[in-house]
Amino acid sequence: MKLFQKLVSLALILMMALSLVSFAAADGVVEVTLPTYKTGENVGAIFFEPLVERFNAAYEGKYHITLEELTQDMYTDKIKQLGAANALPFLIEGGDTEWIKQVVIPNDMFVDLSGLIADNNLMDILIDSQVAYNTTEDGKVFSICVPVTRPMGLYYNGSMINLGDKTCADLSWDEFIAVLGDNKIAFMTGENAWTTQLVLGSLIAVEEGGAELLSSHTIDKLMDYNQPCIINAVAKLQKMMQENGTSNQIGAVYADAANAFMSGNAAVIANGSWMVGDFAEDGGKWSNGFNGADVRGDVLPGNVALANNDGFQYWIPASATAEQQEVAKAFILFTLQQDNIEAYMLAEGGVAPKLTPSEEYVAAASKNKLLYEYVNAVNADTIIVPNVGDIMTSSIGNTEFGNLLPLLISGELTPEAFCQQLTVLAQETALD
Amino acid sequence: MSTVRRGRKGGKYTLMEKRSFPWIYAFLFPTLLLFAVFYVEPIFQTFVTSFARFNGYTPPQWSLDFSDLGGTIFRNYTRLFSMNSFGPAIRNLLWWSLIAMTVHVGIGTAVGVLLYNRLRGWKFVRIVYMVPNVISGAAWAMIYRFMFNDDIGVINNLIRRLDPSSHIQWFYSSPAAFWAITFTWVFYAVIVALVVMGDLMAIPASLHEACEIDGASGFQKLIHIDLPLCRNAIGTSVLLSVTSRIAMYENIALTSRGGPGNDTYGLALILTKSITDFNYGLANATAMLMFVFGIVTMQIINRVFRMNDPVY
Repeated sequence: MKLFQKLVSLALILMMALSLVSFAAADGVVEVTLPTYKTGENVGAIFFEPLVERFNAAYEGKYHITLEELTQDMYTDKIKQLGAANALPFLIEGGDTEWIKQVVIPNDMFVDLSGLIADNNLMDILIDSQVAYNTTEDGKVFSICVPVTRPMGLYYNGSMINLGDKTCADLSWDEFIAVLGDNKIAFMTGENAWTTQLVLGSLIAVEEGGAELLSSHTIDKLMDYNQPCIINAVAKLQKMMQENGTSNQIGAVYADAANAFMSGNAAVIANGSWMVGDFAEDGGKWSNGFNGADVRGDVLPGNVALANNDGFQYWIPASATAEQQEVAKAFILFTLQQDNIEAYMLAEGGVAPKLTPSEEYVAAASKNKLLYEYVNAVNADTIIVPNVGDIMTSSIGNTEFGNLLPLLISGELTPEAFCQQLTVLAQETALD
Repeated sequence: MSTVRRGRKGGKYTLMEKRSFPWIYAFLFPTLLLFAVFYVEPIFQTFVTSFARFNGYTPPQWSLDFSDLGGTIFRNYTRLFSMNSFGPAIRNLLWWSLIAMTVHVGIGTAVGVLLYNRLRGWKFVRIVYMVPNVISGAAWAMIYRFMFNDDIGVINNLIRRLDPSSHIQWFYSSPAAFWAITFTWVFYAVIVALVVMGDLMAIPASLHEACEIDGASGFQKLIHIDLPLCRNAIGTSVLLSVTSRIAMYENIALTSRGGPGNDTYGLALILTKSITDFNYGLANATAMLMFVFGIVTMQIINRVFRMNDPVY
């Protein structure tokens, strides 16, 4: 009996060992998991999921990327947590800029991508200022950005408001609100209050000294919000939210704001060009007779567009194995192929300054009237500044700003008190 | 009663006992190891780094300049106490603890007593009351977000039947937000009900029979026999409920996020916010404060409910 047990045990051990060997040898595919928020209902999924599918098809039998779904507002925190646990994924898209600058770069937690750029002549296509921003003092390149710049503006429902022969570039916010009448703007206070942040950013940009303030605090975050340009802009925002905010704005997350617009409850929503895809076809998101064909894209009133080219995108953590680094580099190069950049611009809008567009792209772009209109709304006089979220510290931008908005809307906080609260909170979060 | 339970012949162990020592230590070792690695070490690390300048990624830095205690060694604690959200967090903790001790435990005890008495439909009540317990706190918080929604929420729509002009932003205005968060947990006292029911079932039948012979009413039995004999269960329930308030996170983070302003902040929210801003020293100081609150709560409840004294 004992002999039988020993034989069975040995056989089982042998089978387990053999199965491991055969798994590693027979397959030969390097499989990696990529945590991302650009899946499912997220607007970024329209481009990103097919991109990963194309990558997997192009490298079939060699590499395979599986997407792990995260929500957008938890992505940066999740990456930081994984960083603290020394368990970062093989490829990361952006992340908390303060964490990157104060922790990742000083501690050499990344793979230098300067070699990848030089070996593949990527400077022929990358935006110089983006590469410069991503280059450390000792000449290492932290991350590579898709070389597309995407100034953000707004969308309005042409069946609800009529600007006549004017565009938002010709109108101030006051004039735009007059045209808007009783129609609503899709504001939100939940998550990072994204659509509200964009409107506030444009209001600050047209105040005296506002554009300079926004442009000068993307690296060293703003700690003092008690500045006339911000207080004035917050006062205007308060009035707009009180008089032209949708009924669901308090507590609304991005999906609620988008739903307000695509159900005709709001006539205006501030957002980036990536939202164009939502207006191309119903997809179950439209209601109350909303028609995507009525949507018009424009810059924000005051001729303001929001863009921050100073950012981080694809980077590889130093903890990635050699095989994982190989996949990550292959994926980065794949995203920089002309057809993929053009697919990106078609899906999410934007301009690639160094790219000579292909005929196919020009033909396809001209078919998407809304995207064409949105992208070309920017003119030589447009004030292009970073969004207000880019100048806030992480917890202020992600939570506290949205938490204070209900008090601003209800009038419990004056604009001055609102800015004072932001200042106190910013100083509380500052590292000592 | 002798307190000497071990050792004979002048306190020395017998040979047989001595021979069993290696085995005793051998069997205890895994437990002690797990306790040391997963309990003692993290608590020690948290304690030590709560005095450090620590971003969670680079080695912590301590300043041992004791001449300026507030500015150096106790920097994280002084910073925590001076935070705008600290006052509301403590105020909320006190109120929620009070509500937990009275309403929450009261409801759970009442349900426990009802189930114990096996009134008609008790099995149905038991199942219905248990169901919320198998749903995570996070899921409940999300459900409550919809229930309290001003546009589509069932609660506001019911209120509007009485007052059509009513628009309460439950999670986003004060003091409604405090109560809205309270409603996400206060009624779900399944653990309390189960613990109390366990003690009720352990009461000897002879006690109840004696009461009945003496002509005691059902209410008198409850007040003079059942509840006093459930003292330990109720004490345990109060302890669990209050410590849950100290650590409460999802119910706040997934609803009001501490707002409006900082009106519904909790210590756990301050802790996670500090981590978000990668200020782990401050986060660990908050964790230590929560730890101390937990220990103090345990001591107070142990004394008040005389948890170490025999009930019978």
